Amino acid sequence: MPPSIDASNSSTALLCYHCGEDVPAGVSLPIDIGGESRPMCCPGCRAVAGLIADSGLGNFYLQRTAFNERPVQAESAALEQYRIYDDAEVAASFTDTATDGSLSASLLLGGITCAACTWLIEQSLSRLPGVTRALVNLQQSRLDIQFDPTQLLLSEIFAQVEALGYRPRPFQASIQRQQMAEEYRTELRRLAVAGLGMMQVGMFAIALHAGDIQGIDSRYQGLLRSVSLLVASFIVFYSARPFFSTAWRHLKRGALVMDLPVALAIGLAWLASAWATFTGTGQVYFDSVVMFTFFLLLGRFLEHRVRQRHSLTWFDAESTLPGAVTVWRAEQWVMAPRIQLQPGDTILVKAGDTIPVDAEILDGNSAVQEDTFNGEHLPRAVTTHDTIYAGTTNIDGALQARVLGDYRDSRLAALQRSVELAQTEKPQLAMLADRIASWFVAGILLVSAITAVTWSQIAPDQAFWVTLSVLVISCPCALALATPAALTSAASALRATGVIVRGENALDSLSRATHLLFDKTGTLTEGTLAIVQVRPLAELSAREILSIGAGLQHFSTHPVARTFASIRGASGLTSVDYRVGAGLEAQKDGTSYRMGSEQFCRQLAPELPEAPNDDLYWIALCKEDYPLAWIGLNDRTREGAGAVVSSARKAGLLLELLTGDSSPQGPLLAGKLGIDTVNRGLSPQQKMAHVQELQASGAIVAMVGDGLNDAPVLSLADASFAVAGATDLARTQADFVIVGGDLQAVTSTWRKARQCRRIILQNFAWALGYNICAIPLAAMGFVPPWAAAVGMSLSSLLVVANSLRLNGSPT
Amino acid sequence: MDSLYLLIPIALVFCAIAIKLLLWAINNGQYDDLDKEAWRILADDNPIPPATPEDKQEQQPESTER
Repeated sequence: MPPSIDASNSSTALLCYHCGEDVPAGVSLPIDIGGESRPMCCPGCRAVAGLIADSGLGNFYLQRTAFNERPVQAESAALEQYRIYDDAEVAASFTDTATDGSLSASLLLGGITCAACTWLIEQSLSRLPGVTRALVNLQQSRLDIQFDPTQLLLSEIFAQVEALGYRPRPFQASIQRQQMAEEYRTELRRLAVAGLGMMQVGMFAIALHAGDIQGIDSRYQGLLRSVSLLVASFIVFYSARPFFSTAWRHLKRGALVMDLPVALAIGLAWLASAWATFTGTGQVYFDSVVMFTFFLLLGRFLEHRVRQRHSLTWFDAESTLPGAVTVWRAEQWVMAPRIQLQPGDTILVKAGDTIPVDAEILDGNSAVQEDTFNGEHLPRAVTTHDTIYAGTTNIDGALQARVLGDYRDSRLAALQRSVELAQTEKPQLAMLADRIASWFVAGILLVSAITAVTWSQIAPDQAFWVTLSVLVISCPCALALATPAALTSAASALRATGVIVRGENALDSLSRATHLLFDKTGTLTEGTLAIVQVRPLAELSAREILSIGAGLQHFSTHPVARTFASIRGASGLTSVDYRVGAGLEAQKDGTSYRMGSEQFCRQLAPELPEAPNDDLYWIALCKEDYPLAWIGLNDRTREGAGAVVSSARKAGLLLELLTGDSSPQGPLLAGKLGIDTVNRGLSPQQKMAHVQELQASGAIVAMVGDGLNDAPVLSLADASFAVAGATDLARTQADFVIVGGDLQAVTSTWRKARQCRRIILQNFAWALGYNICAIPLAAMGFVPPWAAAVGMSLSSLLVVANSLRLNGSPT
Repeated sequence: MDSLYLLIPIALVFCAIAIKLLLWAINNGQYDDLDKEAWRILADDNPIPPATPEDKQEQQPESTER
């Protein structure tokens, strides 16, 4: 297999075989899977793909239906972190010991994208020695594993799952999650009963309808009617119950919702038919009643399922914190569970680790990356007596710190509380269907009243039955199906283009959005620094400069160093020394080299000129007495950001940039892209306040964001997007999750939402039009029960067929 | 036609049994994961097993502990 050579084929858009993202230029990490060389975008993907291929599970790639998520950088400390779960006491909350000594554990898995993932995990785990059963539930992203604890440690299972590129966490049973699972089963039970009952009643109905046409002995008619009544009653009381309870609940508060006409139609048609059965007069509509119930339950069930499949409600901010920490106990450093920390304990946070609690530094110098709170990727330098916050990352050097309080007192917990607050404060926009419903109910009642009065003048003995047939014919089946059918169809179309729909009213709200708000770092930009410019100060080519720079940076964990990760570093660098907050120094061929801040490099090369005066992040490179170059870094604008902004402008949306960054980068980027308003230096709470202000003035706000700090505002906005690479907390709060890296999905989703709204309106127009034609006929007494059933089915089918048009390509 | 008085109740009994079975299966968790099972029936069972021929491919239906 010829290894691909750097520049030749990586310049074209090559997609990573594992995660489907672009392979960055200059990266060549091909791997052999299924007899072919496959491109990989990063060492993380390569490690995962290598493991999958080596364990003979390469077929996974042929069977999956969606790309995998890009694994987070493999951390050597991972296994170490999971060690704490080997402690039975810590693991007790999610494990269970059986009588035969085997242990069963439940793990939550992040990053499962399709059914093939469950197969991969099950296959891979069931080969570990001691595993007797491994089952992954796709719907809940849950792994249930049973194993022999004498042969296998729980931490090894965690590590194996992580090695496959998924994010394992202990599965903590939450009330919300249990409720969701229980609701799902309840809905399914109702649907199943309605489906089976519908077949029975339908069978009797055919006999009854035939009897209406060609004549039937009243004995048999009575029999068929009573068995229909029996089955239909069961369905009305068991399956259709939620319609009645929802309608009643809203009615008590004075709100008219779509469920009200539904409940009225089912209830009245059932009552009238029951009356007809007992008295042996009039007509029965049992088939319409059960069919209506079944169609509607099916529509709603499918709509819920398409959204719930990707719900991540299990995630909260606390789960970003490490489970195990290094703490000073009894004169030595020991690993202990984070939850056992006491205020006043001394902890050790190594470079690269997430800080587990709010703490005050006792000893050490470092830099912490606080993108959790401000969304920025450039770190803040910290030293003794500074406070560091839970959820941020320690970048440079090891820190010893004194614990200030437990999780509940931390700044991260405050952020989580803001998220929860935002959820309750999110304004509920009335759904289109519910607004139409109130008019519909009023209209139907009016028409029925007129019919009753008119017929009581013409033929009093028929007035009751004709009025009833008006109520049954007006059955809002198509009307009630109009929304769920269109939403389901739009959501699955969006899923195919890499956008997951999670929010309930999200598509409706998005289609009516007036404002589109963006976060800056990580949303409009890629969120990682990239080398933009090299200004040589000596007789060296840019290539040579970068190669020396990369050679030095490969020894660092600073965010700047990552920009050099894909460049082949110069060899022969020795005695590399890292100075916190300054830069790197090394020896090569007997000369010292330095790279880093201006001041640090000037000590070595006093002739170093001032940094170029523009808005890049500049770092200097020099050797003894001899400046070599200024290298300019910047956060690159995401591909497609310009296109999104300009098409949103054209569509008449008001654009704003909300950023936690207070530097001039915000206005600069806004100017470049053409965003009207910039609000910079905002804390998560200030972002929320700003959105609330807009909403109070009547705006419908759509928000695009990615970071933990965006989570509260995403939750508050009427419609929100989490972009690729967003933090888990942002994803749980967003209505739409963009899976691929393409920011243009924002506009295509917006277009789909508009299209979906058009389809819903068409559905309504059809359903109302049908009623307007059918009701006068019914009012004149021309519609027999079989015609009512056929009419209802046909109009519902038409609504579904119209909604399916949303599955087509975007307009 | 009098047979209807016998046949219809029998049909109802069968219907009741079917509903009972379905509800049992739902409560038993067999329908909890519709996407995965739909996919699994089409998937290859044997992914070139490298070592363990007695691979436990067939999992028992998950028994729910509640």
